[in-house]
Amino acid sequence: MKRLTQTVAAGAVIASLSAAAFAAGHASYTIGVSNTVQGNGWREQMICAMNAQALASGDVAEMIIAHRNTDTAGQLEDIRNLIEADVDAIVLNPSNPDGLNDAIEDAIAAGIVVVAVDAGVTAEGAYILSNNQEEYAYLGARWLFEQLGGEGDVVYMRGIAGVSADTDRDNGFQRALAEFPNITVVHEVFTGWQQDQGKQQMLDFLATGIPFDGVWTSGIDNVIVDAFLESDVPLVPIVGADNAGFVQMLTEVEGLEGAAVTNPGSVGGAGVTLALQILEGNAPDDPLVLVDPALWDNTTDDGRAQITSAQNPNLDPEWPVSVSIDGWTTYSMDQIIACEGPGE
Amino acid sequence: MTGFLKKHGWTLGLLAILLTLLIAIRVVQPNFGASGLESLARAALPFAFATAAMAVVVIAGGIDLSVASMMAVTGVTAAVLMDNATEGQAVFAVIAVLLVGIAMGAINGALIVLTKVPDIVVTLAMLFVWEGVALLILSTPGGGAADWLRSIIAGPVSLPFLPEAWTFWLPNAFIFMAVAIAVIWLPLRRSKLGLSIYAIGSDDTAAFRSGIAIGRTRVAAYAVAGLFCALGGLSLTMGTGIGEPVPGPYLMASVAAVVLGGVVLGGGRGGLLGPIIAVFILRAIRLLLTLMAVDPNVTTIVEGTIMVVVVMLGAILMMRERRS
Amino acid sequence: MTDSGAEPLLLDAQSVSKRFGAVAALSNASLHLRRGEVVALMGANGAGKSTFVKILTGALRPDTGHVQIKGVDRRVGSPAEARRSGLVPVYQEPSLIPDLTVADNLRLGDTDEAAFRHWVAELGVSDLNLGEMIHRLPLATLRILDLARALASKPDVLLLDEMTAALPTDLVEKVLKTVRAQADEGLAVIFVSHRFPEIAALCDRASVLRDGETVGDLPIEDGVEDRAVELMLGAALTPGQLAEDRDAHVPQTATGTPRLKVSGIGLGGKLTDVSFDLHPGEVLGVVALEGQGQDELFDILAGFRRAETGTLEVDGTTREFTHPADAIAAGLTFVPGNRAEALLMDRSVRENIALPFSARLRAWAGLPMKREAARVAEAIERLQIDTRAQGEVRRLSGGNQQKVTIGRWIATGVETLLLFDPTRGIDVRTKRQIYPLVRELAAQGAAVLFYTSELEEVQLACDRAVVMFGGRVVDIIDAAEADEPTLMRAAYGLPRNAPAEAAS
Repeated sequence: MKRLTQTVAAGAVIASLSAAAFAAGHASYTIGVSNTVQGNGWREQMICAMNAQALASGDVAEMIIAHRNTDTAGQLEDIRNLIEADVDAIVLNPSNPDGLNDAIEDAIAAGIVVVAVDAGVTAEGAYILSNNQEEYAYLGARWLFEQLGGEGDVVYMRGIAGVSADTDRDNGFQRALAEFPNITVVHEVFTGWQQDQGKQQMLDFLATGIPFDGVWTSGIDNVIVDAFLESDVPLVPIVGADNAGFVQMLTEVEGLEGAAVTNPGSVGGAGVTLALQILEGNAPDDPLVLVDPALWDNTTDDGRAQITSAQNPNLDPEWPVSVSIDGWTTYSMDQIIACEGPGE
Repeated sequence: MTGFLKKHGWTLGLLAILLTLLIAIRVVQPNFGASGLESLARAALPFAFATAAMAVVVIAGGIDLSVASMMAVTGVTAAVLMDNATEGQAVFAVIAVLLVGIAMGAINGALIVLTKVPDIVVTLAMLFVWEGVALLILSTPGGGAADWLRSIIAGPVSLPFLPEAWTFWLPNAFIFMAVAIAVIWLPLRRSKLGLSIYAIGSDDTAAFRSGIAIGRTRVAAYAVAGLFCALGGLSLTMGTGIGEPVPGPYLMASVAAVVLGGVVLGGGRGGLLGPIIAVFILRAIRLLLTLMAVDPNVTTIVEGTIMVVVVMLGAILMMRERRS
Repeated sequence: MTDSGAEPLLLDAQSVSKRFGAVAALSNASLHLRRGEVVALMGANGAGKSTFVKILTGALRPDTGHVQIKGVDRRVGSPAEARRSGLVPVYQEPSLIPDLTVADNLRLGDTDEAAFRHWVAELGVSDLNLGEMIHRLPLATLRILDLARALASKPDVLLLDEMTAALPTDLVEKVLKTVRAQADEGLAVIFVSHRFPEIAALCDRASVLRDGETVGDLPIEDGVEDRAVELMLGAALTPGQLAEDRDAHVPQTATGTPRLKVSGIGLGGKLTDVSFDLHPGEVLGVVALEGQGQDELFDILAGFRRAETGTLEVDGTTREFTHPADAIAAGLTFVPGNRAEALLMDRSVRENIALPFSARLRAWAGLPMKREAARVAEAIERLQIDTRAQGEVRRLSGGNQQKVTIGRWIATGVETLLLFDPTRGIDVRTKRQIYPLVRELAAQGAAVLFYTSELEEVQLACDRAVVMFGGRVVDIIDAAEADEPTLMRAAYGLPRNAPAEAAS
């Protein structure tokens, strides 16, 4: 599926949103949330961004959050339960683009606004707001391959096999790989986006003694640096996400060359903003809204400056460092850390 | 009458809990009605089949940790076979999927019987094997499902000889589940194989001395579980329209429903009705908690606590009965 | 054999032998049956009865010899196959499925329901509800149902394995009468039992096993009891060293307040009115055939189970044991027959001997460690255990392991020791090292209750012996008089004063 990238004018959105909020002056909406991965820093930030944005908007009376580890069938159940709860909008992180359509169509038929964040859904009438995952992988992989001088062996540490974000990222990674014919993938593993699992996999691979020149990770990153340090092996360039722990390492670990690609969980907050916009009658023309990632490396002054400005010691080390999205979120740093929605 | 109460006390108790929950849901959400029942029935569908599968092997004195993985294999098999297939070809796909389920279950059982390795170890290993098989068949979620198949579990029942006002409350998903389980279980339960399954779970020495072929019965029990898993996998594909290779949360949920449903871990006692009602109880709790907008991190604690309390209460009542 | 009866043999087992590793369970067992014959299969504990039964029913394959039923070689197979061949067993533990109804059990075994109902009524159980769950029925009823099911399958040969044990007398009578009547109609019956009155009432012949060998086939007539006892004992009495040991051991006569006073203990159908005294410094033997209630008695004394009736007094005070901890607190220490239950197999001899010290950590807190270590070292010395194998108790021989389980109490000191068959499966040499250990414990003032399955041990280690039969204490015999024939007769529930040596 080819996606259109749309950059949204920040000021306009904020202005119209605030205006609507102040004009209406009510906090009457109920927003339902459905998410199928629990206990992962990114997803937790997403949920907190939703809560914080709902609170900051002043338009939301109640958040009903179905947040657990389950499969597509489980998410179908959660969406149907949210329909039963008579919510005004559902913001979901879909586990699958096609499998949820029945329930999403039921929701839309019931007059509920549906916004999918982070990944897409194919249901007619649903809006999608997402980080561009293919671009995410392409950006980081290209930086890594350039850092290696276009030549060398890399370890490719993916997420969960069969999950669409992983598939999208693989497309981006393969696109970059095609541009660098002298780069070879010596080892490809699925970390399951689990810290302990990813670390063990790297420890195991280091123990084999097979040489390699760089590591691309799908966000399980700071534990990979730990694995190098614990094994007392010279560091190689490592690409990760903007998780607080990894970003801190980029500034502090001696000899670590690396880059963090932003993949803000705060798209959750942006999704709430989009849902409220639609409820107020300001639906975007294109149902697909993509947020492009940025890359912060610690090998250039520019990148180092971005890293320094993004750090906050109060953030959960497994959260992405980029806690807000310009033009889409209006909460403060304190609000997202507090993670409280309206009515709490 | 008292004999009936004694024999079915547990099941009736579960029914009472389910009714209480439905009433509570109605109180929290006055609009709860036919569509809500349909959501509940559709959500319960894969859990019900996983639970039926687990219940059969537990009754036979075993356990099968690979139920969720077998559901994944059959689900993706169904999705792959039905992708771009005609509506007619889908019939054969369904039959093939059911056969695949039976075969996987029989392999589980045969490995346990032949290697004499404990069931918990064998099926734990098979959990990973079947998971890998599912990923081999379909590495990313995809595939398709025939429309007629998907419509089987959609909407309320319509029967020509009953007024719509009656059938309106009865979801198709519920009928599909009830019919599928009844068609397999009721004849089996009364057959010699069914009795043998209870017998080997109850006391395998006595079963052996009664002339039962223990090994063959065990394989058959696992094969029946495989068949239920195939129905579970099929219901996943019917619900989502795709196949997902990563197993869902059906293993733990099925063990929970089996225990809550009055099937004794260790074998020999219980049926399928109790566990199926337990599945609906667990789904209704989830719905109630969602309607009440309970903090998501608290919901699992609440679900677990309710289960422990019910099972403990049951154990206390049972001990009372034994003493008197 | 000279019999050339017109009737062919229904069952013919010839020169059957069976080894388990180095142990010969059966060396030369034979049994034959004709239509209408009831034969008792007898033998002391460990004579090979249960192995022979397993071979007859097809659960085990004999190493040599053959078993023919109706002239066809018995194949090893499932019980279902055994049933088809015409030999149907009924065991002490009913083979009915506890969680199915009576009717379902019948369907499972393809039993004819009308015939089953007929036999149930015949055997004296009225008001049976076929819809009742098996696990809700009393054990005695289940035995009857099991027998009725067997009879309903119209067997050629019926094998009753101790099925009358712990059955109420009226039901036993019904069973014997019914089986006898069936035998008169042509049924052949193998009756495995310890009970002479029942054997006398039911059987035509008694086939006696000793040490895995069929040593006699006796017609049932007056005086057969004595002849059978003699055959079961055989030449097992070895004079010489044994007599010397026996002479060296002078039984003590204890008086005063008993350490343990057991009064009127009862438990279901397993124990009835069991009473005896155990004094400090005394070794009291318990003699019983298998399954006569000795397991339950030791369970109650060790606090594993509660007696339904009766009282226990320790040093003159009534005690109630609701948990093993209560028994231990009252100074009763149980040493199970299974050594694996008593030892930490992966730990050293030293640690295992010191274990009771550590278990009583609080009580012994004030003791200097040195003294404890010295006592442990002394105990090891006394046990004559090859210290090269000290690393793990697992690596010791069975006999040496048993020495550790008993010897540890010499180091620690013990008030009352309950030994359950401590010498089973141990070589003769080690056995003879264990008796002095037991005596030494008594000499230290301990009271020892010593269940043994080997009759000769009573005179080697005990002061008196309690004999149990059918859950009752049938006799208490002083060691001086407790020679094997006397004990054997008593263990079979026969009166003591009848001339045991009459036949010789």
